[in-house]
Amino acid sequence: MTELAAHTEAHDEHDHHPTEGQYWLVFVALVVLTAIEVAWSFIGLEGVALVAPLIVMMILKFFLVAGAFMHLYFDLKILNGRLFSWAFFGALLLAIGVYFVVFAAFRWEI
Amino acid sequence: MTDVAVPAEVVAGHDAHDDGHHTSLGLSNTKLAMWLFLGSECLLFGALISTYLLSTANFIGEVVAGNPTVLATIPEALAEEFAAEGSVSPIFDIPFTSASSFILLMSSLTMVLAHKAISEGNYKNLRIFLATTAALGASFIAGQVYEFTVFFREGITYDGNLFGSAFFTLTGFHGVHVTGGILMLISLLIVSFRGKLQQDRAETVEIVGLYWHFVDIVWVLIFTIVYLIP
Amino acid sequence: MAIIEEPLALPAGEPGPAVKPLGVFTRPRETTGLTTWLTTVDHKRIGIMYGAAAMFFLVIGGVAALLIRIQLATPNNTFLSGDAYNRIFTMHGTVMVFLVVMPIGAAFANYMMPIQVGARDVAFPRINAFSFWVFFLGGLMLNTSWFLGGGANGGWFNYAPNNGIAFSPSTGIDYWSIGLLIVGFGSLTGAINLITTVINLRAPGMSLMKMPVFVWMTLVTQFLLLFAIPVLTVAQLLLIFDRIFDANFFNVAQGADPLLWQHLFWVFGHPEVYLMILPAFGIVSEVIPTFARKPIFGYPFMVFSGVAIGFMGWGVWAHHMFVAGIGPLSVTAFSVATMFIAVPTGVKILNWMATLWGGRLILNTAMLFAIGLVTQFTIGGLSGVSHAIAPSDTQQTDTYYIVAHFHYVLFGGALFGFMSGLYFWWPKVFGHKLDEKIGKWNFWLMVVGFNVTFGPMHILGLQGMPRRMQTYDTVMGFNFWNMIATIGSFVLAVGTVLVLWNALVSYRRWKAAGSPNVGPDPWDGRTLEWSVQSPTPEHNFDESPAVTSLDDFWHRKYVEDENGQVRRVATGDELAQPGNPEGVHLPAPSYWPFVLAAALPIIGYGLIYNLWLIIPGALLVMTALYGWALEPADDLDLPDDHGHGGDDDDHDDGGPPGGAAEELETVQ
Repeated sequence: MTELAAHTEAHDEHDHHPTEGQYWLVFVALVVLTAIEVAWSFIGLEGVALVAPLIVMMILKFFLVAGAFMHLYFDLKILNGRLFSWAFFGALLLAIGVYFVVFAAFRWEI
Repeated sequence: MTDVAVPAEVVAGHDAHDDGHHTSLGLSNTKLAMWLFLGSECLLFGALISTYLLSTANFIGEVVAGNPTVLATIPEALAEEFAAEGSVSPIFDIPFTSASSFILLMSSLTMVLAHKAISEGNYKNLRIFLATTAALGASFIAGQVYEFTVFFREGITYDGNLFGSAFFTLTGFHGVHVTGGILMLISLLIVSFRGKLQQDRAETVEIVGLYWHFVDIVWVLIFTIVYLIP
Repeated sequence: MAIIEEPLALPAGEPGPAVKPLGVFTRPRETTGLTTWLTTVDHKRIGIMYGAAAMFFLVIGGVAALLIRIQLATPNNTFLSGDAYNRIFTMHGTVMVFLVVMPIGAAFANYMMPIQVGARDVAFPRINAFSFWVFFLGGLMLNTSWFLGGGANGGWFNYAPNNGIAFSPSTGIDYWSIGLLIVGFGSLTGAINLITTVINLRAPGMSLMKMPVFVWMTLVTQFLLLFAIPVLTVAQLLLIFDRIFDANFFNVAQGADPLLWQHLFWVFGHPEVYLMILPAFGIVSEVIPTFARKPIFGYPFMVFSGVAIGFMGWGVWAHHMFVAGIGPLSVTAFSVATMFIAVPTGVKILNWMATLWGGRLILNTAMLFAIGLVTQFTIGGLSGVSHAIAPSDTQQTDTYYIVAHFHYVLFGGALFGFMSGLYFWWPKVFGHKLDEKIGKWNFWLMVVGFNVTFGPMHILGLQGMPRRMQTYDTVMGFNFWNMIATIGSFVLAVGTVLVLWNALVSYRRWKAAGSPNVGPDPWDGRTLEWSVQSPTPEHNFDESPAVTSLDDFWHRKYVEDENGQVRRVATGDELAQPGNPEGVHLPAPSYWPFVLAAALPIIGYGLIYNLWLIIPGALLVMTALYGWALEPADDLDLPDDHGHGGDDDDHDDGGPPGGAAEELETVQ
């Protein structure tokens, strides 16, 4: 088991884990973004000016959680199998793409 | 396509972990399976969110147009507010929901700290953070339940109109997923108290964590799309 | 075939094991009999059960088809009432799509794919068992609607608002949505399982581009399932909520748009048809090279075109909705996308033909069926291209022209491919070949019957005969071809059933001859499954095969000499692994997958009849989940104590090939 453990360490991505401080930092960033989002929705903007920054912030929060908490930021760098990142982002883009088209077909009756 | 060969060590076979260090992607079976499952959940929640957007848009359209069948399903005052705003925003209590969001974000933090704890062999912290995550999740659910009862009192019911059906279905599904996560966390906690959740099983906590973070991400999306964007 | 040689109890006097089984259900200990099938986690047995169940449902769906043809044989026929006709064609489609074609694909994928990648089993054997049982029990539940609710009657695609409680008050629709919801869990969990297996459990040296085409097609199929099933699940849930809890998703009076159903259904539905055909494409890509004595032409193109079909299949769904009232831009976009998707399939057809060209063809039954797929799918594909052109589809849609198209691709394509696989792999699974003479009758009757049934439907469709109409009047001029089609359908039925007859006769003859074994490599095959004994040993491989190239097994039998001539250096029988199970640790059987699967229809019936039933159903689900996670390690008394750690999300590690793997400790 020890040889295996040693071998394990060589491949181990645990060296690349964030520190506790970095996790707290991510958390604070998430809270701040949420606060900005809420404030943004209250300042009376409308239309694209209201929606676009909200979407951007939402996407930022998404990548913060996925990248830091779900470790994807490190996994994608280290893993030599690009299939995995394709699979995950493929699923995401697929979902977004398909549902966007459905929405468009309805709302704008294209 | 990536041409990935499995290292020669695996040929010997007998010591091969499937915990990721010898597989072509570096992911264990269970972790890969969880990611695949989460991929399918993207499609599930995507469909629910799209349905919500379309249903609510149609609902508001009918309210604004003065459709009597639809107007009959909500109190008059509420209908006026909806029509005036051109959206369902008036019914949302954004400060309250922001607090819920904050709670869920914090639970993601404690989740990741729980995983860190078990990776370092700190079982006391593991249990503290697991319990905190579960408790925060439960508070989130409590907040949701409270919000739902408020909506009922204000006249939005599940079967009343399109908005009610869509809203409660979407947030309800999310809530069910959170509850499932809480059950998993409590199970992990119990297993830990029985002394069976050791450092070499850190990945189990990580995998439950992946699920938990995903549920949090879905809320990030729901909060922005449903609550903040009119 | 003993999995557990000794009972789990220890000899008297010894202290008990450190781990104690929790609860009533210990791991099953039987070695023969029904319980072994109920509790098996062996991918091969599960594959066989998928196949047997699919055959059972094929008979149901086939009888429904014959009833349709009898009704339509003559004009103004009263053999079936309008209501009965609706139910029969709905169930025919639903059963054939979800309970026949998809499970046969699963049968082949489950049995063959792990062997072809050199693995001992799939990544999660218990989940594999669960996938099968939930499919089978869900399918049974769906079919109880014949007796209890009158059968679903909204068409296999079940459009809203017709599927709502206002227009379809009987419980048939509830059976459709809830039954298929349950079946869908099987597909989803199966997909996660098989993808993980292909990605993680390949033999050393088998990179992705050295996998057989069949494995690639299986992989793409599983990804399609993984992403398409959730969309159908949502559609079904919205419908269930509408019908049972009075939601308003498809309530037009409240402003709902019925097109929502169509979009959700077809976003699932189009990837669905690709996932029905891709396994058959994979099978044919194994059969043709084997019996043409040539490698598959253009392996990378076969792989990439399969992946391309998987991707592009997501962009064409609204071609099922050209006349549903979507806008002109949508129609144009989807029309163009649909035309494009013909390209990768065309690539495959050309590659199969190029493989055949110049080969020393062995035209046995398996090969005939494979060639049948290539020709008939091409015909179906050509009618498909005509559908892609939206203006012409406006004429063709909802007519028998469409019926002809999809039967050519699904029956003439997928099912013929499955028949090919059956004849090809039967010796590997059962240790003896299917009879060739009956096989030839099987094939030719099917080809003739099939084309006589569905060929004329092109004509009927273009003449304007609508789908899903219980009858037609004599003035329409449909009489002649309908009668021909009905005659053809009976020929086809006889031809199809011949495969079951063949199975019986071949088995009896084999037993009477003393069960002589056909040997590991009866076809001089190319892929890894021919390097193990027939029938496949329970542990698959004695030791992990080390793979160095595509068609590795073939290259160990045949080399090129100095003159570039192919020379045989070894036979399959010489190279095959002897089948020695010593030192092999297999995952132990378990009751819990079956129990969990059985709990879901209980919830289903509760939703339909009495909501209180949901509580015991849910309790059983929780019990099963915890029982599953906490059940004892399998072989407690083996020297190396290897437990299968069940963690709380129901995944267990099947272990990589190569013998005893260090597993995580059990929870207890």
